[in-house]
Amino acid sequence: MSNPFRLPMAPRAIRNLFSKPATRRYPYEIRPRFDGARGTIKFDVDTCNYCTLCAKRCPAAAITVSREDRTWAIEHLTCIGCNVCVEVCAKKSLAMSTEAKHVHTHAEVGPQGQRPGHEEWHGADPAIAAAAAKAAAELSIDAPSS
Amino acid sequence: MKRTIVPFGPQHPVLAEPLVLDLVLEDEKVIDAIPTIGYIHRGLEAMVDRVEYTEMGFVVERICGICSFMHGMGYCLALESIMSVEVPDRARWLRIIWAEISRIQSHLLWLGLGADAFGFENLFMHCWRMREEILDIFEKTTGGRIIHSVNRIGGVKRDISDSELIAIVARLDGLGKAFEATARVFANDPSIRHRMSGVGVLSMADARAVDAVGPMARASGVRMDTRLAGQNLYDQIEFEPVLETAGDCLARVVVRMREVRQSIDLIHQMVDKMPKGEGLPLENKPRGNPSGETFTRLEQPRGEVVYYVKANGTKYLERFRARTPTFANIPAMIKLVKGCDLADVPNIILTIDPCISCTER
Ligand code: SF4
Ligand code: SF4
Repeated sequence: MSNPFRLPMAPRAIRNLFSKPATRRYPYEIRPRFDGARGTIKFDVDTCNYCTLCAKRCPAAAITVSREDRTWAIEHLTCIGCNVCVEVCAKKSLAMSTEAKHVHTHAEVGPQGQRPGHEEWHGADPAIAAAAAKAAAELSIDAPSS
Repeated sequence: MKRTIVPFGPQHPVLAEPLVLDLVLEDEKVIDAIPTIGYIHRGLEAMVDRVEYTEMGFVVERICGICSFMHGMGYCLALESIMSVEVPDRARWLRIIWAEISRIQSHLLWLGLGADAFGFENLFMHCWRMREEILDIFEKTTGGRIIHSVNRIGGVKRDISDSELIAIVARLDGLGKAFEATARVFANDPSIRHRMSGVGVLSMADARAVDAVGPMARASGVRMDTRLAGQNLYDQIEFEPVLETAGDCLARVVVRMREVRQSIDLIHQMVDKMPKGEGLPLENKPRGNPSGETFTRLEQPRGEVVYYVKANGTKYLERFRARTPTFANIPAMIKLVKGCDLADVPNIILTIDPCISCTER
């Protein structure tokens, strides 16, 4: 039996008196996340070609893509942050940012059943997009002559 | 004498997890303990018929929040053996480095919980402060603190650069030094000895008879460790399992403390032995669908885990099963609880390091 009068925690306790606290004052002081930490998915509406591959591969079925309507939507609260969609996207339209997932309160759900964490993009209609591109091209051709 | 039945759990202050035991008491002595499992059964194994085998890895990882890396790794190893995928060397080394880091994490977590259970909250904080550093290493290298999602069938998704590896080893060395101070408290503090020493003794013969696994068996002197089989590159490093002979609660604490030190040493060896360089291949993508069946064993922090996978050539597996270490240790726990004092029950239960979410999946 070891000596009950020895105080094995004493050196530690004395050191703790003079050292910084081990914890942060959380909401006022937030540790920045490390590079490469997985946080929220960022979507780039301009490069996506609505191939639906990300939606097919997402293990949590958090992504819905419609090729006809050219919409891309994600449920951030369903996403498990596995990074698979980023890996499969050939167009590099998806990126994993280190930003932590947004915290939603119960009040946000609301009586009408709003969907917190739902984010949706609508791509321009290809016909409109093509017309806009054509107009822009014409403008730039016209520009020097005027 | 009149018998009383005291329900222990599913809500109990010492254990965050819903372990259910009915303790049959005669005065203060426990005569019998009847476990009930299935309280948090989530049916994860049955998900194989709805989740494709490529995505199932993410489900398997979520069997448990402490061994999540090893669960993911075990699943991938099983599928790789069925599909005969050759995993690149560096990926194999990275996997076991992460596995050992997660062993340190798990043991620190447990030592903290153990301290909390016998009322030493201060020590609990110290253990968890060290564990936090390990979680930082995980967040830096895998992107996630608890769920890492780096294992894929055929390799790993992320590399750790050589300089980063050296930094990690240095950091673990620092952690090892800080751990010594805490380990001294565990080994010498009179109140801890009083609560743990000689309590819940599992003899070597009993440990073999009830098929205890992991630190539980090693604390009773049974030389049993899946890493001894030399799979997963453990044959290329010097490894000898930590053994204690006392078999009591204190021995189980000591085994885990020594395993923390041992894991730091193993990581040293692994970093020395692994192939170095930037841009080495990390993944060989499997082709087609798996067909066949396999068993894979792995040494998790709590003991041996066994995965059984049966695939039938479609993208859905036919059967997946995980036999987790706590499941194997429950008979040993029941054996120890019988005949002890009611006041010792929480300590005994905690020293088997129960993970109920693993057990019930
Ligand atoms: S984000 Fe990428 S993978 Fe998803 S639909 Fe768009 S282009 Fe395809
Ligand atoms: S990170 Fe994973 S879960 Fe989240 S949207 Fe992408 S594929 Fe789905």
